[in-house]
Parts: sequence; C-alpha cells; structure tokens
Amino acid sequence: MDKITLKVTRSGGKRASFEVRYRKGMTVLDALTEVREKQDSTLGYRHSCRMGICGSCGMTIEGLPRLACQTQVSSLETDSIRIEPLHNMSVVKDLVVDILPFFDHHRSVKPYLIRKDIKERDHSEREYKVLTEEVQKFLQFDYCIMCGLCYAACPTAALDPYYTGPQAIAQAYRYMADPRDEGWEKRVNLLDTSHGVWRCHMAGACSFVCPKDVDPAKAIQLARMEVLRSRVLGKKGKAGSKPVPPPGAPKEGVKPPPFDYGGAKK
Amino acid sequence: MAEPAKEKGGSLMKESWNMVVTYVTGALLVFVLTFHLLLHSPLMGVAFDSTLLFPNATGNLVDYQIVFGLLLIGAVIHGFNGIRVMVLEWLHPTRLAWLLNLIVFLLMAFFIAVGTVTLVVVG
Amino acid sequence: MKREKRFGAGLFSSLNPVGFNLERWSYTVHRATGVVMVGYLMAHIFETFQLTGGATAWANTMSALHSLGPMEMIGLWLVAGSALYHGGNGIRLILNEAFGMFMGKPILPVYPYSPTSLGRSQKVAVWTITVAVLALWVWAGLYLLAGLGVI
Repeated sequence: MDKITLKVTRSGGKRASFEVRYRKGMTVLDALTEVREKQDSTLGYRHSCRMGICGSCGMTIEGLPRLACQTQVSSLETDSIRIEPLHNMSVVKDLVVDILPFFDHHRSVKPYLIRKDIKERDHSEREYKVLTEEVQKFLQFDYCIMCGLCYAACPTAALDPYYTGPQAIAQAYRYMADPRDEGWEKRVNLLDTSHGVWRCHMAGACSFVCPKDVDPAKAIQLARMEVLRSRVLGKKGKAGSKPVPPPGAPKEGVKPPPFDYGGAKK
Repeated sequence: MAEPAKEKGGSLMKESWNMVVTYVTGALLVFVLTFHLLLHSPLMGVAFDSTLLFPNATGNLVDYQIVFGLLLIGAVIHGFNGIRVMVLEWLHPTRLAWLLNLIVFLLMAFFIAVGTVTLVVVG
Repeated sequence: MKREKRFGAGLFSSLNPVGFNLERWSYTVHRATGVVMVGYLMAHIFETFQLTGGATAWANTMSALHSLGPMEMIGLWLVAGSALYHGGNGIRLILNEAFGMFMGKPILPVYPYSPTSLGRSQKVAVWTITVAVLALWVWAGLYLLAGLGVI
C-alpha cells in the first residue's frame, strides 16, 4: 500500500481523516506523529518511549486496545485505520484519556511491600533474601507497565467504574505472592469486596491485550484462590502457586547455599 | 475524578461467601437440572408431550420431591444472585446497593415460596 | 460527586466481544443464556404452580402454551440450549476461578507472548464444552422439534 488513512476520533466524538504515506515498518505512532508534524499540529495523543516500555501510547486501534508504538500498520491488514481513545476512561482531548481513576485503583490495593516492623523496614541491616523459585511466583506480574490496555478491554470495567480492575488486582497478587510482603491479610480484605476480585468473570480480554504478557487474568484467578483459602479454609499466609522453573534452574528441593555476608553483622 | 467505592454500611455476608454459594448452587444445578431434563427426554420411552400430562407431571413431583426442592432453591438463588451481580455492575449504586440486595432477596423468597407451595400441595 | 462520561463504556460495550478472544465471546453468551434462563425460571415456576389447581387448570395451561404453535417448541429448544451452554461453561468457570485449572502457572514472559490463561488447555476446555453442548442441543432439537424420539 502507498497511502493509509487514519480515521481518528477527536474531542466531542468527531471523526477526522488523515492520509499518510506508508513506509515499511511504520507503526501507528509513526503515522500519528507524521499527521501532527505535517497536517494538524493540534492532534492530541500521549507517547514517550516509542518502544513499548512506558505504556503511554495506549489507544483503541481497529477496535482493540493496543500500544500505538508496538502496532505495525502492516499487521492491521487494512489501509483505513480506525483510532479511538482507550475505552472505559473519560477523554481529556482527542486520544488523551483521564488515566487518574486507573491509577487510583492501583493505589487502592497498596502496591508496595508492607512490613509489620517499621523500624526494621526503615533501618534494615541486610537485604531481604528471596530465592529464585520464590521470585518466579510473581515476576511475571511485575512486568506491568501500567498502560491501561487491560482496563480498557475489561467488560466489567466497561460497566462498573468502581471495579478495581485487572491491573490493580494483578498487582495486589504480585505483592501477596512476594515472600517479603507481610500484608497478605490486608490485601485479602481489600480484594474481597463487591467491586473487587469477584467482579471478574474470566473473559480473559485483559490477558488478550496485555502487551507485556503480564497475564492479569491468571493473577486474578490466583488472587481469588487466595481469598477463598482465607475465607473458606481459614488459611493465612503466602500465596502458594508453584511456578514453572526457568530453563537450567536447579531441581526442586535443591536450595542455593546461604548468602555469605563476608563477616557483616547478621 | 472517580474514586473506587468503599463498602458502605457493611453487608450481610462477604462477597466471597456469596460467590461460594454461587459456585455450590451452580454445581448442584448441573446434576439436578440434568435429572429434571432427563425426566422429559427420550430415555423415558415416550414422546415429549406425554411427559407433560397431569399424571406424569404430578407423579414426578411426588416421587422426586427432594430433588425438585433442591432444584427450586438452587435455581432461584443462583439465577437471582447472577441478576443481582449484573445489575450491581451495570448500575453500580453507591448508597442504594442495600436496596438492590433487598429487592433480590425478596424476589428469591417469593419464587421459592411459590415453588414450595406447588411441591407441598402436589406432594 | 459528578461522574465523568467514560468513552466506550456501557452495557453494549461490555457485551460486545467482536475482535476479542474466544473466552470473551463465551462470557457474553454465558450472560445472555443466564438472563434467558432466569426469565424462563420465573415463568416456569408460575406454570408449574398451576398443578395445584388440579388436572383442569393444568390442561388449560398446556392448551394456552400449545396455542403458541411451533413457537412453543422453538422457545423450549432455545431454553434447553441456554441451559446446556450455561451449565457446561459454568463448570469450566468454576474450575478456572475456584481451583485455578486451565490457567497455567506463573512463567517468565518470553516474546512472542502467549498468555497461559488463554492457552491450549483453556481452549481445549472451551471447545470441548461448545462441541458437546452443540451436539446435545441438536439432539434436543430433533426430539422437541422433529418429534423423532432419537436417542
């Protein structure tokens, strides 16, 4: 194709068409940048790293939430591309959405390590030791870049603005599975609400659109099992999902030798 | 800026127990509903219309009263709880969630009552 | 507090699975079949209540239903399909949600990404249920609509 047409939904719901010359390897972000530079400098959209790590350029492209910098124009198999703001968020201008409620949901699950001993936390004399197999339990969910695509794809979030959301619940599980965290019960209580983990219905759209394979649907089901363990079985403590060991990892039961502090005070 | 809703005024039971009830009634319904449908299936050796005749219909209720009782309670609780969840998500009331829960509870009680009367009178 | 209008949110958007994954489609069908069944449940409870009025009341009820013509059996066939799908998919959801089955384990993401929660085991579960439900539904249709009494 020589030219592509971008049909962009702008502020007020109006649709504007822009024609851009196609170049091999062009991403949707490249096309939007060309529009802003050469045709309409008022076109509003967010972007930053242009390499799929910052999560700023999330928008709805051809009906699906995607990162514009990671979406090749050729992969869309059409020369007329529909671009809309991310769903389930209110619009600030053109393709820029108000992402603050999304961040509020994230903040609501206390996405940080909770330690009971504040003195030990603030003045610890050594690092917290975490074994490789323990890291594997939550590392996948740590790759979240908070792009908001999962929230935009979620059918429950489309209905309920108070729903915690797949990203926040996945992050809550990330900390529940972290052996350094002591806020397991607090998070169980935060998730066990009428707008919490139980409003997920396993549509899987969040994992389908996630650009970093964080697989929030899996995290949500694991979080759900933690809540059930707590409420039904009365168990308290760490998330117990056994991970898949990476290639070359030591066999289960073989622990690495204790860390040598080199004579430092233990 | 929208804020996540806090749980206002408490609730009769934690949402997790609500979901346990949904799972249990759902699993129960798979068995009792299958049984109910099989009573009207070719396995009975008669045409479908024949299974709806008065003697057959009442006979089933009499012979399998407990099964139909479980089916009634399971179906009403599972179904109306599902509708409650859908309406809760759609309307997401902050102050009037208790009213929605009350309406659903009353509807459940009403339909269970009607069904129970049928089972008792016919039985 | 004034609620800001969210772009692309709402009931239609929530139930519209076009372009999304297979599990999102099954979510929409699960919701629709659930609503159908609750509607039928309410009507069915009132219908069976007529048994308390004796054989005459029951016969009148059945006549009223038969007066719908072929719509009666078609309606029953649709309800049967709803029940089959909702029950089968419901079992899959209980296994997913309460027991974490078909979800896979936490892994190290490696490009090209393929979430394990939507992986092979999940797809096998969804398609197995769909195929089984369709087969039973066809059988129910032959029994109800064609009166063939096929086992």
